[in-house]
Amino acid sequence: MEVSEVYVINSALIKIDRHFNKGYKELANEVVSEVISKSGIESIDLVVVSNMLSDCILDQLDISTILMQNLGMTKVRTLRVETGESSGLAALEAAWMAIKSGAAENVLVIGVEKVTEYPTYKINKVYGKVLDYEVEFIRNITPPDYAALVMKAYLKKYGLKREDLIMWPVKMHDNACRNAYAQLSFGITPEKVLTSMVISDPIHLLDTFPLGDGAAALLLTSGKAVSNVAAEPVKVVYVDSAVSAQFHLREDLTRLPATAVLASRLKEKFGDKVFTEAAIELHDSYSIYAYIILEELGLAERGKAYEIVSELEFVNVSGGLKARGHPFGATGVYQVAELHKLVTEGFAGRKFDGKYAIAHSMSGPDYNARVALLQKLA
Amino acid sequence: MFRVLCVPRPESLTGIVGWGVYIPRQRVKADEIASLWGFEKTLPKALWIEEKAVASVDEDTVTMGWYAAKVAIERGNVDPELIGAVFVGTESKPYAVKPSATIIADALGISKKKLSTDMEFACRAGGEGIRLAIALVASGTIKYGLAIGSDTAQASPGDVLELTASSGAAAYLIGPAEESVAQFEGVVTYVTDTPDFWRREGSKYPTHGEIFTGEPAYFHHIMSAVKMLFDELGLAPSDFDYAVFHQPNGKFPLQVGKKLGFPKEKILPGIVTPWIGNTYNGSALIGLAKVLEQAKPGDRILVATFGSGAGSDAFSIVVRDGIGERVGRGPKVEDLLKRKKYVSYAQYAKSRRLYIRNIG
Amino acid sequence: MKYSIPKFWRRKEGYYQIILTKCRECGKVAFFTYVRCPYCGSSNVELVKSCGRGVVEEFTISYNRVEEGEEYLPKIIAIVRLNEGVRVVGELVDIDLSEVKEGVEVEAVLRRFSSDDPHGLIYYGLKFAPVIKGA
Ligand SMILES: [Zn+2]
Repeated sequence: MEVSEVYVINSALIKIDRHFNKGYKELANEVVSEVISKSGIESIDLVVVSNMLSDCILDQLDISTILMQNLGMTKVRTLRVETGESSGLAALEAAWMAIKSGAAENVLVIGVEKVTEYPTYKINKVYGKVLDYEVEFIRNITPPDYAALVMKAYLKKYGLKREDLIMWPVKMHDNACRNAYAQLSFGITPEKVLTSMVISDPIHLLDTFPLGDGAAALLLTSGKAVSNVAAEPVKVVYVDSAVSAQFHLREDLTRLPATAVLASRLKEKFGDKVFTEAAIELHDSYSIYAYIILEELGLAERGKAYEIVSELEFVNVSGGLKARGHPFGATGVYQVAELHKLVTEGFAGRKFDGKYAIAHSMSGPDYNARVALLQKLA
Repeated sequence: MFRVLCVPRPESLTGIVGWGVYIPRQRVKADEIASLWGFEKTLPKALWIEEKAVASVDEDTVTMGWYAAKVAIERGNVDPELIGAVFVGTESKPYAVKPSATIIADALGISKKKLSTDMEFACRAGGEGIRLAIALVASGTIKYGLAIGSDTAQASPGDVLELTASSGAAAYLIGPAEESVAQFEGVVTYVTDTPDFWRREGSKYPTHGEIFTGEPAYFHHIMSAVKMLFDELGLAPSDFDYAVFHQPNGKFPLQVGKKLGFPKEKILPGIVTPWIGNTYNGSALIGLAKVLEQAKPGDRILVATFGSGAGSDAFSIVVRDGIGERVGRGPKVEDLLKRKKYVSYAQYAKSRRLYIRNIG
Repeated sequence: MKYSIPKFWRRKEGYYQIILTKCRECGKVAFFTYVRCPYCGSSNVELVKSCGRGVVEEFTISYNRVEEGEEYLPKIIAIVRLNEGVRVVGELVDIDLSEVKEGVEVEAVLRRFSSDDPHGLIYYGLKFAPVIKGA
């Protein structure tokens, strides 16, 4: 059986912000309208909605159905995907598999999250549910606590000082200054990182993402239809995901096991240089994770990622979760939309002409990790 | 010096196999409380209260009772499966309805085949728990019984009671006399309806009769129980090496002891309240633990509990061989007295939830 | 009611005591009660009780405000190496922030994880505290 190829033919995103005057329906409508208009696609077979917290924040189950009802798209197939913080890439994964299998031809992926409906302490509570509630969260362990333990283990293992790991947020804020869709589009000084509030020592406020609302959308199509509709189709070459062991079962906290598995699988399939030849959006929910992800992907030597931060030209051009923002279930969709624009029309003041574009996402301390490999057709 | 009896008293078939104490780490100074509420500065000294133990925000009667009971079982080196009764004497139940005893028992892996209940008689329910355990062991109904006294005592902020009302727990594992390191020689209880201190259903803090809690309540009941015990056993203060009384403050036990004819030297070794406050159901029982940890085989100890409402249990206990070795199997009261961290009134108020917060 | 009654009740042994899952297949031991070995997936596992003693390997002092957890802040989350060699992550209590360090000997103590105030259940479970002298 011939396997279909999968292409991104359009993408849309809104500025991540505290959209107090808009609900998730309005946010989703904005990106859906934009991504469908001028796409040339006449009918959509499937809509995959990515959202992490609708049950907790919106008191809404079956958000994909409700959204379709509100967007006047009642005849379409739809489903919601949730894999914690990586839900956005999981939605792409589902869409990719649907087209690959021939079950669908034109698929709309929507990532939407309304985070600012409640105060921070309430969001911190529901966000903590990405961990194993019965083992971890009920025992008062939260995601930044793990990030802090990872950072301490990392500093210890490589004999580094806390001050050695302050350039990532600075770089991300700098990148976000050129991204009109970023939540935090202002620069910060290195000193500011360590004078910002401590969340879980040594993780400071400026090591982590802001809370904001966002929506992004992608329009995907099969190889059969792509030649008619897109001037610059971007191929979704591969999407992969893996799960890693729970935190207390890991002997080496300076590794992210699921991300490591994905890195080696991707290298095996597409060559050792797949990451070095790519523009990358990676999941820097806490800055320590960014350093380790760079190492897991082979972009930096172990313990030395901090040395190359300033040289990273096409990594998190968006500003990353740190500064672009992290509207949970929408984030993975943002990453792919940003990469799609980066390799086609240009994004955040830059254009990438290299071979690949890779989105990396994960949930919690790498409880699951996902990657999507994109390639612009010559 | 045992009195010769035709039929042995049933309590003499039993003894203390293990014991354990818990005192929370936080202390607040009585002077700070007194000064905050405008009490005259000599009051703490008059009551002989220097500081009191304050349970942390995540501690309560269950958690403190659990620790004390865990140590009691470890001291006794007894299989928890053989414990046939768990009693928790408390007037600060975390749940108004739902036993604390079952939580403690489950958490310690104690047999499901057991008697288990929370008991309330102000500060002496723990003493009654010991009496019940003694009776159950003596009758052969159970092999071992665990009696716990545990409280996070409440006091209305600004009430004189707040100078002393504190948190702590003690647990006693009662078993056959031959396995024990301290044998019960005799036990009596004296109770009447005397309303010296109470808390109504739904009230957050207790109410008391101030001076009325003294003469007709504390002194009358303890002295009646102790005199009954003396009569029944044919003993006098001179027969005892130590005397431990319920300690609502540091002053009362010395006064009641004096009235009964005990010299100060026999009472002081069991005094703990000036440094940890009145732990209510833990009070006399922590004092007893402190005495056991310094007693020698053959020593005779008088213990008299007191609970408002009112009543007193008087125990005559004779220390047996092996006490020293068993002391070493767990933390001593002295260790727990030294383990402390001073906190402000504000921290105490937070720990004991004296502030009104928006919750739910 | 903020938490399911049966959900807490059925796991209480794992909260009240430190239970380890020991795999008869791969030989590894993991903290908590798993239905299968989390390392190799074998269902040939047995549950064993830990002595509840260990040593602090790493810790963080956390100010992360979580709804209904505000009273417990700041909290210390520590990685404890149990005497059985197994790692467990849990809360560390009864220690000054300035005294927390690697190598502190700790024992498991029953505390409140949280409390469903004012009408719901109190969720008890084990945290860690420095071993009391003499214990
Ligand atoms: Zn295994």
